[in-house]
Amino acid sequence: MSDTRPQGQPDEAMVDLLIKQVTEGLSPAEQRALDVMDSELATAYLRDLERAAAGVTLAGSTGGEPLPAALSARIAQQAAEHFAAAEHSAQPSNVADLSEVRTAAAEKARVQPPVAPSPAPMRARRFGGYGWLAAAACLVLAIFGWERSPPPLPLPPVAVVPPPPVAPRLPAQPAPPTAAEERAALLAKTDTLKIPLGATKDPAAAGVSGDVVWDPVTQRGFLHFAGLAPNDPAIHQYQIWIFDAGRDKRYPVDGGVFDVPANAGEVVIPIRASLMVRKPAAFAVTVEKPGGVVVSGREHVVALGATS
Amino acid sequence: MSPSVLQRIASGDPAAVRECIDQYGPLVWSIARRLSRTPADAEDATQEIFLDIWRSAGRFDASQGSDKVFIAMIARRRLIDRLRKTSAEPPMDPVEALETIAWADPGTACETSIECEQARRALAELRPEQRQVLELGLLHGLSQTEIAARLSMPLGTVKSFMRRGLIKVREFMNVDAERVSARI
Repeated sequence: MSDTRPQGQPDEAMVDLLIKQVTEGLSPAEQRALDVMDSELATAYLRDLERAAAGVTLAGSTGGEPLPAALSARIAQQAAEHFAAAEHSAQPSNVADLSEVRTAAAEKARVQPPVAPSPAPMRARRFGGYGWLAAAACLVLAIFGWERSPPPLPLPPVAVVPPPPVAPRLPAQPAPPTAAEERAALLAKTDTLKIPLGATKDPAAAGVSGDVVWDPVTQRGFLHFAGLAPNDPAIHQYQIWIFDAGRDKRYPVDGGVFDVPANAGEVVIPIRASLMVRKPAAFAVTVEKPGGVVVSGREHVVALGATS
Repeated sequence: MSPSVLQRIASGDPAAVRECIDQYGPLVWSIARRLSRTPADAEDATQEIFLDIWRSAGRFDASQGSDKVFIAMIARRRLIDRLRKTSAEPPMDPVEALETIAWADPGTACETSIECEQARRALAELRPEQRQVLELGLLHGLSQTEIAARLSMPLGTVKSFMRRGLIKVREFMNVDAERVSARI
């Protein structure tokens, strides 16, 4: 638990702001003041203070009166509706291909108004190996140090839903390879890099594991994940970043944004590097607003992988 | 070790949802009542908190703490957010009731939560006035300015007491958490 804890102690101003956030919330001006401070340190310390405040709350909550029956019934009904909506949006495939995911999300966006945020991810999570986390901590420092990054790639073109077949005039075209098949083909090549991905200490990252395969010759690659929480594309999306040893590490290359549907299990995600990556040193995934960002809010880094 | 109720919710066990409401409803309700301005607000807040719980269950990591503290964290976040968005009136607890809070004793409410016991031990080491500041701020939702007015205490002193108190609790909880982590 402590091996990825940021070094150093927050100064008094940061502690005061964090305590105020935990006890009564911050004004917009106070929030802005906190935003310019060391976000990694603030995030870690905030989590500790929230736990402490929760502990005090529990210590002061002796007994507790029963939930009113009518309220309990409303909560149960709300839960049933919530999980029914989650079930409705679940993907049947165990291994979700991102192209399918994007198409489905885009289709959903066309035909439905924004709905409630996606449900909680449907799996238990644990942190990965500690050696890995130590490397991840270094990478987090690098990531949180960036000040500006290239504009994110727009979402890839939405696959057109084919019209119903009129008549079988032509021989069927072979189906294009899925992302999982393309990844497997890439793995068969000798030049392809395979880099393990691990979770950070971000709460949203718990249990995330996977790998990156990257072909430096063709500049193509894929992320392969398990344990990444489903997201509601109307609220946030995941964004890929590639740290190029040949570039200033404050300016990682944008690798595109993607979504994870509920109950996706494992996902395979194509990387869409916006710039030539000469020597990939690390890959990272952050949680960002829909469409991705130019300047990261730096709140959530959910996966990291380094080449050495 | 058998999965916790949050882990079972995250894995899609519908029985765990009902169990979670039954098991943690009183806790959430008691926190919501203290940190809401009216009973109607408390009901709305409780519903929102449970929705947050359903959405966040998959992020629960048993190695980082118990279900109970995770749920208390979610509840506090939501309630503070609601307090922040509403008027400056204090929550619905009447001032007279502020003296009635009794911290949990070992073997009572803390028996199912190690974090609760850690916090209680930390609180026992605080001076009474420090403990009172934490009580007013964390259990009753008074702002630091309101605490200063209520206790006729300089605001700087309130901030200092709050800071030292929370840091003390944090230290107790982190020490034990790191012991747990070291065993994994």
